[in-house]
Amino acid sequence: MSPSLVATLRNIMAVARREFLWRGRTRTFKATTVLLVVVGVGLALAPVIIRFIDRGSTGDRIEVVVGDSSPAVDVPIALNLLLNAPIPGLPTDGETTTAYRVEATADIEAARARVVDGSTSALLVLDRTSAGDLAFTLYSKDTFLSRTTQLVRQAASSIAIQDRLTRAGIPPIDQAALFAPPDFDVLAADPDAVTDGPQTGEEFASTFAISFVLSILLFMAIILYGQWVAFSVAEEKNSRVMEVVLAAATPFQLMAGKVVGVGGLALVQYIVVLVPSAAALIFQDRIAAFVLGGSGGVALPEGISIGLLVVFGLMFVLGFALYAVLYAGAASLVSRQEDVNQIVAPLTIISVGGYLVASYAGTGLIPIDSPLVVVLSFIPFFSPYLMLTRMGLGTAGPAEIAIAIALLAAFIPVALWLAARLYRSGVLMYGQSPTPRTLWRALRAR
Amino acid sequence: MSLVLDSLVKRFGQITALDGISFEVEQGQVFGFLGANGAGKTTTMRIVLDILRPDSGTVTWNGTPTTDVPRRTWGYLPEERGLYPRLEVLEQLVFFASLYAIPRRDAAARARDWLARFRIPEYEKRRAEELSKGNQQKVQLIAAMLHEPDVLIMDEPFVGLDPVNVALLKEAFGEMRKRGKTLVFSTHQMEMVEELCEAVALIDRGRLVLGGPILDVKRSSGRQVVRLGVEGDTELPWLADLEGVSIVRSGEDYTELDVRGRDPQDILGAALARGERVTQFLIADPSIEQIFIERVGRPPSEDQHLASAGAAGGRGGDGVAAAAGSAEAAR
Repeated sequence: MSPSLVATLRNIMAVARREFLWRGRTRTFKATTVLLVVVGVGLALAPVIIRFIDRGSTGDRIEVVVGDSSPAVDVPIALNLLLNAPIPGLPTDGETTTAYRVEATADIEAARARVVDGSTSALLVLDRTSAGDLAFTLYSKDTFLSRTTQLVRQAASSIAIQDRLTRAGIPPIDQAALFAPPDFDVLAADPDAVTDGPQTGEEFASTFAISFVLSILLFMAIILYGQWVAFSVAEEKNSRVMEVVLAAATPFQLMAGKVVGVGGLALVQYIVVLVPSAAALIFQDRIAAFVLGGSGGVALPEGISIGLLVVFGLMFVLGFALYAVLYAGAASLVSRQEDVNQIVAPLTIISVGGYLVASYAGTGLIPIDSPLVVVLSFIPFFSPYLMLTRMGLGTAGPAEIAIAIALLAAFIPVALWLAARLYRSGVLMYGQSPTPRTLWRALRAR
Repeated sequence: MSLVLDSLVKRFGQITALDGISFEVEQGQVFGFLGANGAGKTTTMRIVLDILRPDSGTVTWNGTPTTDVPRRTWGYLPEERGLYPRLEVLEQLVFFASLYAIPRRDAAARARDWLARFRIPEYEKRRAEELSKGNQQKVQLIAAMLHEPDVLIMDEPFVGLDPVNVALLKEAFGEMRKRGKTLVFSTHQMEMVEELCEAVALIDRGRLVLGGPILDVKRSSGRQVVRLGVEGDTELPWLADLEGVSIVRSGEDYTELDVRGRDPQDILGAALARGERVTQFLIADPSIEQIFIERVGRPPSEDQHLASAGAAGGRGGDGVAAAAGSAEAAR
């Protein structure tokens, strides 16, 4: 088949147009768009919403019973300082961190009852061991691993050390200065390493959150919109309209038109969701100032750079194109919509795999510089997820990112060829069960 | 100027669907494409339209391979009708036309025109799934014709249409033909073939059984059908003495005879020689239906037996009537 380029483009656009308009008019599409806008804006404004809800409260109350342990430091004051100190790895804005309010009390039983009914978060009781050391007991509804428990435990250690120093004859000094956390920076050991990555704990935390969110968005787009393409193919096959269209357009044109049409709609939905969400994110300080009083500025959240957004955009378009094309090819092999999920399952699994490795690497469960992550970040099916994560964490250089994008872009024609081949033989096959053998036969057919 | 199919072979796994099909359709012809179910008609049509590729063989239109012929040359009505179930009729038609580079406004105007001619203008805004099967078929036909293709290829265009719509479709066929369009269609309704087609191709199990202008096809069978009526005699036992003559059917006022290898006039001569009073004598070519059944329906060896010819039944008789009509028209 050698249709002119003009005819090819015209047919791709005609198919894409129908796909775009028809799908865009469905109630499902409108409903999901509205839902996603609500969720997106809600997530973006979550900190403001939480502050709004918490505006009356003065933080979690922790009650302390010193009893007759007579520690060398003023435990409620020290605990208050330690618990509300900035924590590495978490946002440090005093207004957004959960603040603790430490109060001294005497009645253990009454305080325990308050923990049970929820009006107090935890109760810390001090005592002395026979060796004269301070001993702590925490009454809480949380688990041992909860954030509050761990913070109180760290604070208790500091208090115990100060207590021991005092008993050893070293006089107590200014407590605020004593418990202030030191400066603590983490730098790459290799002086030549990429340095545009996050340097401090705070930066790390916000970049981590951003790349985590971006890879979730990418993952959702590929699965959700890829399935739209697959269902659209199966639908045409099911209604037998395929043959009419195939008399007028080549399988390649039909398939490309579908991917462009659904992709365009996906992009529209994305923009419709992202613009208000991003606006909410950027203006959240203003919104907070309006709702809660005070003044606020306008700023991009930390960790989002123009470069990261451009790469995300590229990975979004290319990653979607790759998966969508293969989804279309696979779906052309089955004749019933019920079989679609089964035949596209291998692709979905690959996609889930890429996403999981990326989020494990992002959270540090897999070291970000492990060979697995580095190698996968260049392989087309995984690179959209992993290169984005590596870039977000600053461990990928511009050259590496460019190579991954080039490889991904270069692989798309291969996928197109493969899918068009599947499509050509698949669209006229009816009554086949979706097995690997069907796939193999379709690939080998003329 | 013609559509030429040359030695098409197509296999699906172990099954050979087409085994060297060759025939030619002249431009401007109405061409009947016949064959039993599963003979390979749909596969052949799909290959002509380049929806399927043959394992070997070529299809050319005016000398150009079908793969290089512009798509808008063809209009196709597939056997399995298909429309977008939830798309409005007009939108559907405009979409199909847009694949052939027809501007949207132009396509909409033409579509409305056709809907009116097929007497369903009120369904313009309806979704395809709301239409009855016959009306869906009409929409499907319009979709195949809207871009004014040079060649219309239709798989069973008459199936599912009521007599009024069949007449409308025939009318449309006539108009297309006047405009020099080539029409190729398959059908199991042989009276349609007799009535409409100038030439036919008959395929069986992937092979061409016979093909060419309809009169040649009829004559190629080497036999003729004679209808003889004799006053006061419905049995005509003396016919048994004539070699090459067999009784197909005995009726009230005439007997239908199958004549091969001799001049049908001999029968009239023999009747007159016996002094019979002849009330009817008609010579006709066998109907396409008879040829179809003869060539495809059963092994040739059964053909000689009167009993099995009788078992082929009343359908054969109707065929003769139609055949007689067309033979007369041809003279």
